[in-house]
Amino acid sequence: MATKNAEALAAANKKYEWGFSSDIEQDFAPKGLSEDTVRYISAKKNEPEWMLDWRLKAFRLWQTMEAPDWSKLNIDPIDYQDAYYYAEPKAKPKLGSLDEVDPEILRVYEKLGIPIEEQKVLAGVEGSRKVAVDAVFDSVSVATTFRKELEAAGVIFRSISEAIREYPDLVRKWLGKVVPQRDNFFATLNCAVFSDGTFVYIPEGVRCPMELSTYFRINAENTGQFERTLIVADKGSYVSYLEGCTAPMRDENQLHAAVVELVALDDAEIKYSTVQNWYPGDENGKGGIYNFVTKRALCQGKNSKVSWTQVETGSAITWKYPSCVLAGENSVGEFYSVAVTNNRQQADTGTKMIHLGKRSRSTIVSKGISAGRSDNTYRGLVRVGPSAEGVRNFTQCDSLLLGDQCGAHTVPYIEVKNPSAQIEHEATTSKISEDQMFYAMQRGLDSEAAVALIVNGFAREVLQQLPMEFAVEAQKLLGISLEGSVG
Amino acid sequence: MATLPTNAQEAWRWTDLAALTSAAASPRGDAPAAESYWLGIPGPRIVFVDGVYALEHSTPGHVALSPLTLDTAHPLGAQASGAAGWSIDLSAAEIVDPVQIVHLATGAESHLPARLTLDEDAVAQVVETYVGTGWTNRLTQIDLERGARLMRSVRLLQSDGFVSIRDEAVVGEAASLITQFLGAGGMGSRIDAMLTLDGDSAFVDYGGALLTREQQRQECAVAVRHAALNGSSRQTWRAVAADRSQASLAARVEVARGAQKTDGEQSLRGLLLQRTATVNLKPELEIFADDVKCAHGATVGELDARALFYLRSRGVSEARAKALLTKAFVSDALDRIGDDTVREAFAADADTWLEASL
Repeated sequence: MATKNAEALAAANKKYEWGFSSDIEQDFAPKGLSEDTVRYISAKKNEPEWMLDWRLKAFRLWQTMEAPDWSKLNIDPIDYQDAYYYAEPKAKPKLGSLDEVDPEILRVYEKLGIPIEEQKVLAGVEGSRKVAVDAVFDSVSVATTFRKELEAAGVIFRSISEAIREYPDLVRKWLGKVVPQRDNFFATLNCAVFSDGTFVYIPEGVRCPMELSTYFRINAENTGQFERTLIVADKGSYVSYLEGCTAPMRDENQLHAAVVELVALDDAEIKYSTVQNWYPGDENGKGGIYNFVTKRALCQGKNSKVSWTQVETGSAITWKYPSCVLAGENSVGEFYSVAVTNNRQQADTGTKMIHLGKRSRSTIVSKGISAGRSDNTYRGLVRVGPSAEGVRNFTQCDSLLLGDQCGAHTVPYIEVKNPSAQIEHEATTSKISEDQMFYAMQRGLDSEAAVALIVNGFAREVLQQLPMEFAVEAQKLLGISLEGSVG
Repeated sequence: MATLPTNAQEAWRWTDLAALTSAAASPRGDAPAAESYWLGIPGPRIVFVDGVYALEHSTPGHVALSPLTLDTAHPLGAQASGAAGWSIDLSAAEIVDPVQIVHLATGAESHLPARLTLDEDAVAQVVETYVGTGWTNRLTQIDLERGARLMRSVRLLQSDGFVSIRDEAVVGEAASLITQFLGAGGMGSRIDAMLTLDGDSAFVDYGGALLTREQQRQECAVAVRHAALNGSSRQTWRAVAADRSQASLAARVEVARGAQKTDGEQSLRGLLLQRTATVNLKPELEIFADDVKCAHGATVGELDARALFYLRSRGVSEARAKALLTKAFVSDALDRIGDDTVREAFAADADTWLEASL
């Protein structure tokens, strides 16, 4: 077994397949973070006065806050003055279609294998499912496709800076409502310096005619990315939103602190899917993205539903807890997660389900896979308020360890103030058994294919929640991240 | 003296530190009589009054007591470092019956460091009872040599105040540490432990039942650390919370790098008797080895309506049916006490609590 592990670990040390960087002219804010940086970003975005004030308020708050230390992450202190907070590719003004996009950018997309072209073809086919892409290249939204069709349905799908200019009342009403400015250190930082992101509004009764999709990239050296996403689903509406990430290889640690806010009103449903494959650092943990994300959904209306699905394979540090505040009666929160760590990666991820509404329900399925010398932690909270009658929760978190140098941790919190609640939590830890490997290999699979098969089986409950567009990519990612890791 | 932690610290967020400080500030009164707390069995009897060994009330028999002081980095345990403590050697073969230790507290604060030791292949049973009022703080270091077996039952019956227990155990090769707690008094409590399975094939069974009512808050914060091969551990905790009380169960299994073939199991369950009560659970796993079996289950809820209906359809009154089912719930933990007399005494204490609360 020991030798098998050794082989597996050696094979797992493969290079980041999608790492490279391309040179596009960039506009930088000066290095470091001060009020001037905040003003610079706001001015760059042509933002109204209220937005600048909002940012400055957050910045002043941030200066009084301290970085949280409760996670099971081993991070050297981050020098926030040693990073760029804004980088914008020198884009041509007003792009009409993808053809006008900087060819260099298109080349990056191609190299990454992002199926934009494929999606266009797909879109051209009568009756086929359509995907709208709001591509974020570093910090600025470069191209937005399918806008017209969405507009016909009444759906607003904009970069957040556009939305601030075009729909100030709507943005002002919801921005910071779910994740307030003083929420946590990283969210507050984001409030001060967020560069761009996505705003989606689905009007009452509308079922969004296509899957909405954003690809995030981190491209400029030393550039922190501070995305801000706000999705509001009005009464009886439905939207499925996909977020996918791959990033070029770099030596410097890159800071990423995104905030995602979702609001679901009565009978609305939001499905939010993420595939994250940022540069995880090399085998010694050098480089790699620091990913501190605050994602939270407010199920405000009765019968509202929010479903988070995430496949996390990248980043050196992942600090991410997509949560649901289940305020509406009969509201439903779901969290499906696969987190893979290899080499020196550290992931501390999980969810919070805050049950405030009567008969609200939640399901948590978390699958952690650790290999190499990595650490993978599930950290979750299920809280039931005193007036939330008839709450149901089911939590399952399973860990799979590949090799004896990695760690798998489970830190669930359960806080219940109402006796009618039924809360169940289960967790298991296992490895890939020799029996499983033997069975798969005597059917003719090589060890890598066998591991990929077993890991995909382990994560199946989560992967099947992903929209079709993502499922294939996610399965591939799991295989690549763990290539050769025989347990 | 070391400073106390605050609720802002993650490991102390559920602790009733206010109750602890106000108990410490309470005036001293008269000592309750130890007589009513002895179980009707022979064997050595040891009494501590406000953390001081009361020779005149004790009949230690073959238990060897010698003075000591202890040091620890733990913030609660550190309160007791420097205080006069006792090393209690339970190795003598003549110790057959359970060793009974009664802690009488009269108010204010008392700190007692103690060490329980068992030599190779020695076997002992200990029953500890905490009664009285004030803040009673006990730091216990437990040292079990190869093949030693310690079966310990601890009941917290203080009428009010606060009891804090800090256990630091090192369990040697093939040794077993079995400890069951019953928190059925009116005090606040924190049962805090770091138990290390240091030798091959060591075994730890550590759990209990915490019963809370009125404004009371009790909690356990236990870590079992597997540092050697083939270790197994069981943590079975039950919490019953009534009125506006809060019961918190935090239990962690740590598996160190290389501690292969570990088998760790946790079962944390909470029962809420009223909607104003709170149960907090935190079953935690921290695993650094791949060939291990670790599982935990945690549930919170109220009594099963179907089971209640079943009993009532057999002519059992509602109050009686509730008491029966709650008793069954608590017995998951208390039935793990091996000695019949001790188990029955603990069950009777739990019954008294249930009768008064339901």
